Amino acid sequence: MRAMWRVVGVLIVIILVAAYLIWTAARVKRLHQRAAAAYAALDAQLVRRAVAAATLADTAPWLGERAEQLRATAQAALDADQAERELAENDLTKLLRDLDMSGWETTKPVMEVVNTSRRVALARQVHTDLVRDALALRRRPLVRMLRLARRHPPPAYFDIGDTVLPMDLTPVDLPR
Amino acid sequence: MRIGIVCPYSFDVPGGVQNHVRDLAEALLELGHQVSVLAAAEKEEDLPDYVVPAGGAMPVPYNGSVARLSFFGPISAARVRRWLREGQFDVLHVHEPITPSLSLLACLAARGPVVATFHTAITRSRFVAAAHAPLQLVLEKITARIAVSALARKVQVEHLGGGAVEIPNGVNVARFASATPLPGWEEGQRAPTLGFLGRFTEPRKGFGILLSAFADLVTSRPDLRLLVAGPGDPEEVLERVPAQVAERVVFLGMLSEVDKPRMLRSVDLYIAPNTGGESFGMILTEAMAAGTPVLASDLDAFRRVLDGGSAGELFPVGDAAALAAAAGRLLDDPARRAELVARARVVVARYDWAVIARRVLEVYQTAIEAASGGVTDEDPALEEFG
Repeated sequence: MRAMWRVVGVLIVIILVAAYLIWTAARVKRLHQRAAAAYAALDAQLVRRAVAAATLADTAPWLGERAEQLRATAQAALDADQAERELAENDLTKLLRDLDMSGWETTKPVMEVVNTSRRVALARQVHTDLVRDALALRRRPLVRMLRLARRHPPPAYFDIGDTVLPMDLTPVDLPR
Repeated sequence: MRIGIVCPYSFDVPGGVQNHVRDLAEALLELGHQVSVLAAAEKEEDLPDYVVPAGGAMPVPYNGSVARLSFFGPISAARVRRWLREGQFDVLHVHEPITPSLSLLACLAARGPVVATFHTAITRSRFVAAAHAPLQLVLEKITARIAVSALARKVQVEHLGGGAVEIPNGVNVARFASATPLPGWEEGQRAPTLGFLGRFTEPRKGFGILLSAFADLVTSRPDLRLLVAGPGDPEEVLERVPAQVAERVVFLGMLSEVDKPRMLRSVDLYIAPNTGGESFGMILTEAMAAGTPVLASDLDAFRRVLDGGSAGELFPVGDAAALAAAAGRLLDDPARRAELVARARVVVARYDWAVIARRVLEVYQTAIEAASGGVTDEDPALEEFG
C-alpha cells in the first residue's frame, strides 16, 4: 500500500512539474510572438511617418531650403536596412523635433506628421514593454537551464528618441 | 470599435476611478463606439445600460483611503469570462489592474489587445511588493499602458518596470461651464466665498490648513464664508476653531454629480490645500471648467494641471499663513481672478473628455495593431501543446 502511495505521489509531482514546464514554454513562445507582432506594428507606423515627412517636404513651400534635408532624411529612413534603421529613424525624429512648424499646425501635411509621430511613440512604447517582458522571461533560471527560448531569437529594443509634440496639437484629427 | 471596460470599484458609489470610467464610456459612446463596462455594483437597478454588474464589492483600506473593491473569487471570475466571451471586444480596457479585483481577473482571463490605465501614484504598496512574480503574469497580458498623471507614470516605470503613455483625466467642460450656482449663492448676491470639496476629515486633503487660514482671514473679513462639500462629520473638524469662525463655514454634505458643478460655480475662489497623495488633481480641472479661480498647494501634480501657475495660483504645501495671504490678495483683486479664469479656460480645453477620449482611442488602435485578433476569454497556452 505504502509503495503505491509513493508512486502516486511521485506521479503527481511529475505531472505538476511537466504542466509547469509546458506552461512556461508556451509563455516564452507567446511573449516572443507578441514582441514580433508589436515590431511589425511599429514598422508600419515608422513607414507612415517617413511617408508623411516626405510629403511635407514636397508640399510645404514655407520649409524653404530645409525641405531638401527633410526629403533626404525621410528617404533614408525608408531605405535603411535592419542594421541602419534605428539611426536613420532617429535622425528623422531629431529633424522633426527641431523643425519649427509654428503657424502651420493646422495644415494637412503637418497634421499628418504630428499624428504619425505620436503613433510611432505609442507603437514604440508597446514594443519596448513586450521586449522587456520577453527578455526578462529569457533570463529566468529555469528558462535558461532548459533552454526553453532556444527556438526564438531574442527580441531587440528599438531605441529612438520620441518626438515631443506640443499637447495643443494632439486634438487635431484624432481617430473617431 | 467594440470596447470592453473593467471598473474594479463599485459603480454606484462615487469615486475618482468610477467617474473616470463613466465619463470615458460616455465620451466613447458619443463618438459612435460600442462600449460595455463590467463593474461591481451594490444596487443593480440604477446602473446606466452600458454597465454589466459583476456583483457586490467589499470595503478595503487602501493607500490611506477606503476603497470598495469588487469581490475577488471564482464567481467573479466566471462572470468576467462570460462577459469577455459574449462581448467579442476589439479591445479590453482595464482600470487599476494591480489591485486584487475584477480588473486583475479580466487581465488574467483575457487574450488579445489589452489596455490598462493606472490611476494611483502609490509609491509603495504592500500588495505590489508581496506579489511581484505573480503580478508579472498580469502585466505581461497588458499590451499598452496608460498613466493618468506624471506621478502615476513614474511609479509605473520605477516599481512595475514598464513604460506608460500619460493621458490625464478628462473633464466634461460643457457640464461644468453651464451649471447654475446653488440658490442664494449667485454671484452678486453672495458674500465673498471660498470653496472646498472633498473628504475634509482626511488629513492629506489639507482641510485643517484651509480652516486655520480661514480663521485668520475671518478676523479682518467678517463677511467671508467657506462653502464645503464632501462626506464626513463637520463636528469633527469644527471643534478645533472658535465659534465665530465655525459659524462662517457652510457644509453641504455629500454632493450629487449634478450639484458638484453648481457648488463650484457658487464660490469666488476654489482652494485645494492638499498635502500629498494626489495623483492628478481632477478637482482642479473641474473648478477650471466651472470658471472658478483656483488657489492650490504647490504639489507637482497641481502645478502641472495649473500650467505652472498661469491658470491658477500656487502656495507652499501645508503653509496656512501663505494660503491666507494669497487668498486675501485674490479676493481683493477681481482683475487677477478674471485673468486666471481666462487662462484656465484655454488650459482646461485640453482636458475635455471629447479630446481625452480620442487620445485613449489612439492607444486602443495601437494595441489592436500590435496584437493579432480581438479579445478572447481564454488563454490557449496549454491548448497549443495539447
